[in-house]
Amino acid sequence: MSAAVSDVAPQASTAPTGGGVLRRLNIVTAVWAGSALAAIGWFIAHELWQDGDHGSDQVVLVTLICWSVGFMVGIGAFNGPIGWIRGNDLAHEDELFLAGKDQGIGRYFRFTTDHKVVGIQYLIVTMVLFALGGTLAMLIRTNLISPDSQFLSAQTYNAIVGLHGLIMIIATIIMVTGPFGNFIVPIMIGARDMAFPRLNALSLWLIVAAIPVLFSAAFLGGIPTGWVGYAPLADQAPPGMDAYSIFILIFAVSSAVAGANITTTVLTMRARGMSWRRTPIFVFGTVASVGLALPAFPLFMASQILLQVDRTQGGQFYVASGGGSPWLYANLFWLMGHPEVYVILIPAIAALMELTPVFARKPLFSFNTAVIAIAGIVGLSVMVWAHHMYAAGWAPDLNGPFMLTTEMISVPTGLLFLVILGTLWRGRIWTTVPMLATYAMLWNFIIGGITGIYLSDVPADYALHGSMFVTAHFHYTLMGAGLTGAIGALAYWFPKMTGRMLNERAGYISFWLVQIGFNVTFIGMFAVGLAGQPRRVVTYAHLFAAGNLVSTLGAYCIGIGMLVLLYAIVSSWMHGPIAPANPWGAKTLEWTVPNPIPLENFEVLPVVTEDPYGYGVDEAFLTAELVSGSAPRTASTGSATATQAEVAAGSGQQVATLDREAGQL
Amino acid sequence: MLTRGSVAFGVGSAILGGAAAVALTAFILSSAGATTGTLSATVSGTASSPKGLLPHAFLDLSTYPDSEAGSHGSDGGAHPDWVTYGPVTNLRVPAHSLVTVTIKQYDTGGTITNPYFAKVHGTVDGTELIDGKSVTQTDADAVGHTFTIHALPTNQDPLYVSVPLPAVADDAPTSPGSDYPDPHVVTFSFVTGGKGSYIWNCEYPCGDGTYAKFGGPMSTQGYMSGTLTVA
Amino acid sequence: MSTDLPAPDGPSEPVVQSVAGWRAERVRIFWIWLVLTGLLVVFSLTVPARLMGPPASPTMHSVESTMTLFSVAASPVAALVWAIALYSLLRWRSKGRPTADGPAIRGHAATTVAWAVTSTVLCVFLLVWGMAEMIVINSPAEANAPLVVDVTGQQWVWTFSYPSQGNVESDQLYLPVDRPVIFHVTSKDVIHSFWVVQMGIKIDANPGETTKTSVMPDKIGVFDVRCAELCGLRHAEMQTSAHVVSASDFNSWLSQNGGHS
Repeated sequence: MSAAVSDVAPQASTAPTGGGVLRRLNIVTAVWAGSALAAIGWFIAHELWQDGDHGSDQVVLVTLICWSVGFMVGIGAFNGPIGWIRGNDLAHEDELFLAGKDQGIGRYFRFTTDHKVVGIQYLIVTMVLFALGGTLAMLIRTNLISPDSQFLSAQTYNAIVGLHGLIMIIATIIMVTGPFGNFIVPIMIGARDMAFPRLNALSLWLIVAAIPVLFSAAFLGGIPTGWVGYAPLADQAPPGMDAYSIFILIFAVSSAVAGANITTTVLTMRARGMSWRRTPIFVFGTVASVGLALPAFPLFMASQILLQVDRTQGGQFYVASGGGSPWLYANLFWLMGHPEVYVILIPAIAALMELTPVFARKPLFSFNTAVIAIAGIVGLSVMVWAHHMYAAGWAPDLNGPFMLTTEMISVPTGLLFLVILGTLWRGRIWTTVPMLATYAMLWNFIIGGITGIYLSDVPADYALHGSMFVTAHFHYTLMGAGLTGAIGALAYWFPKMTGRMLNERAGYISFWLVQIGFNVTFIGMFAVGLAGQPRRVVTYAHLFAAGNLVSTLGAYCIGIGMLVLLYAIVSSWMHGPIAPANPWGAKTLEWTVPNPIPLENFEVLPVVTEDPYGYGVDEAFLTAELVSGSAPRTASTGSATATQAEVAAGSGQQVATLDREAGQL
Repeated sequence: MLTRGSVAFGVGSAILGGAAAVALTAFILSSAGATTGTLSATVSGTASSPKGLLPHAFLDLSTYPDSEAGSHGSDGGAHPDWVTYGPVTNLRVPAHSLVTVTIKQYDTGGTITNPYFAKVHGTVDGTELIDGKSVTQTDADAVGHTFTIHALPTNQDPLYVSVPLPAVADDAPTSPGSDYPDPHVVTFSFVTGGKGSYIWNCEYPCGDGTYAKFGGPMSTQGYMSGTLTVA
Repeated sequence: MSTDLPAPDGPSEPVVQSVAGWRAERVRIFWIWLVLTGLLVVFSLTVPARLMGPPASPTMHSVESTMTLFSVAASPVAALVWAIALYSLLRWRSKGRPTADGPAIRGHAATTVAWAVTSTVLCVFLLVWGMAEMIVINSPAEANAPLVVDVTGQQWVWTFSYPSQGNVESDQLYLPVDRPVIFHVTSKDVIHSFWVVQMGIKIDANPGETTKTSVMPDKIGVFDVRCAELCGLRHAEMQTSAHVVSASDFNSWLSQNGGHS
């Protein structure tokens, strides 16, 4: 099968009408092509450089790059560009083929451009990453069940800590904007696909190519630095660190491609009449997230390029004795690292802000405040990075200013709480699983936020930095608020994405197991952190034994709860009751399209005449206006205000939509 | 449709499957970084120590300039050119005993980064015997390795032992019938307290080609660092 | 539509109405808030500082006061969020799918402004408190005749030396009580973080740089020195003890180790 490498590109370009090889490429050919090119790369690099000073790092670097390039060739990512170079563009039937028309389940294993397919692929990738990261979390907690467990060796433990951290960070970055940003957002704004469908598939398959790269680290000596990859420990680390770098490089490209795509889609492809004030808040959250990632991840990428120069070429960027500085790495990393936590949080909370009005049967409270709060968080989040470095000694005089910016971010974050509480206020609360996620977020994120305030205080941070307290804090934000929001979003959009209802009972059981387990785990971790247990330690003083035991038992509870959720997802996807088009009575556009969703979403592109939060103006459930494309807009965008619901122009179309829904049932 | 029985079956198998996945991952990842074998000290008679008459235990270790000796197999395993302790790096000694360790040091060396570790710490009398001569420190510019035992101070009786192992001269000839020059023989004794888990490592940076010479064999179990169990 | 809930507001007339039942609800939420606030204040006053253990320096004392104070200050905020959430779950919950919409409240300018102003005021308070605290914890560095201790981190041990006391060296930290100390911290290899847990001080040990922190130990005892930055294989074991002893004990320790006071 090594022939695949040489065959693919030329044949693809000689067959621009899409016959032949183009239609045979899928994940299997990608794995073969990746493996073949990796083998060739390994052989050449091994012959040339193995005996040099940085031989093993150079060989690993070349091999992993070859794998990634081969994989992308094998999946067909380069067919388009090669066609353009040859002066051919894809014919319409090729476009339809690429979009996965009439390909059944096979389209999920191809370079398919349909945003709905990409959304489902992202969902699967996210779940796989969570399963892997969660498995590692169980191992970490099992090791820490007692200070003398010796379940894992120090070496294995350190490698697992690094892998768990990085996998979970990547999974949480893509968990909302990947599945729902791709599947839901285009329909939500009334578009037929993303602005750049092939870039969409590219962003997904880059991540798929990168996952084996990340896992190869476990067998190349591990990532002993934690997910932060701090230099110069990273300069010293085994070749697993090269896998880390390559993974970050690929992920940064993927997130840049996805970010440009989603941003362009939302900026240019919103339905007629969908002014910014009529754009659902989830769309704002998604754009804020991917937009914030756009400047952030290139810095991470740069930090890894410098690291690779150090590791493979004997550079000294992070080596103090060679004129470099470890603080260079720390700054580059946290310039990405702090915006990154909001890349994770904003879309998850925006998803909860989107679904809370549906289940409270009330308009979103103060839409403008929500938008301003998101914008405020985005703006401030790029100015707070050095609060991770209060104790680094890098610039003690800047600790005060960074304390200011960090504490200021609690103002827009607090406004998000106001928006959700205001929406709940006197609502008709329908306690579905998605709505429970909103409540869990209110509980968890208050704890995560307040503990963040302790850490923003420079003197308190001197005592708490690097301790388990910090670990518990960011799990409360990224997991307690972020992942909880993503699970709420999944439960909310599951009927639209799969056409089936999520098993409610299993959903409730999972919800309570996960949330109770979560609080037990991390309250135990707060306690040992306050008492002085450092992070990322394979063993600890006996003083911390009780708290760690509690944490471990809580973690097992989370693990069981997540497995119940996994069961609920899989069984409901296969056998769940068929979902109506709009099971929740929501008003955003994605609920107006039938299940299963047609390839191009809308037969007739919708024209939007009001925002999607017009609850309480009529006793009946309202859905967004579906007017024929040629109909005049019924309200001008400029006159809409956040405190004024625009009355629906008429109810005829709504009835028509509801009838169609009844037909589906 | 889903019956109650099938839900219970599905949930149960999901949980069992999850537990199996966790166990399998633990097994795979642990075996990727496994170290084999434990060396137990041999107890022979009693000896007088600062803490009175105690059982006397003996440990014999060596430090090699490569991995072709020790526990990595005759071909040197994955990293034949890494320096290593031998025969293995997981050690076990009895509690409340006098432990006498003899290390044959075959490797060359140089200047240690922290001269504190060119001195002897924590042994009986604060001395070690180098080729039969009692010293309290060695030349900080000619250290081969160190053998440094430490641990969390709170979980077990304190034990902090650090001895320098002098370097073999760079131009020392290979001794007949051996792959290495004649070693320096370093002997020292320390007294163990109650049971506990300790670790030991080398404080002379000897991971050549890595940052601060502390990567590679210095940062990999089974080479220049190991465990010391007092049982 | 149930009768205990007021009729929906008109879209152009958001919020604020004076239905008696609604006023009673506000009173109930207030009581829930008050009870939750009380519980959280009790928790704040008793738990966080206790978990951190008895302080061994004015710095740690100040940190523990901060933890307690911030917890107390955060209590009414957390209680407000949880009270409204809890009340909405208990009283506004619909059994199954709601048959009608809630009131079309689109926002409430006064509430939003009050919320933003309150959180800004709290934020300014945190900042001012933090700045004042920083002056307190920096005071040992300004004191006369502090003891200087050079701290060296290396994989995976700490060593301490006393340059003005005849370069006495030790693998454990010895300090005289009630005398300000300045630590000059550096690393031989990767980044470590020098943390004296019960004294509330922490500063990274960076290769090629010397960082400084200071403290005045005010309690005799044995405390924990831990590494707080993942530094490789034996990071967990990179710990030692800090002995705070009387001035005369410190002097005799120095002379036993070949130094002078």
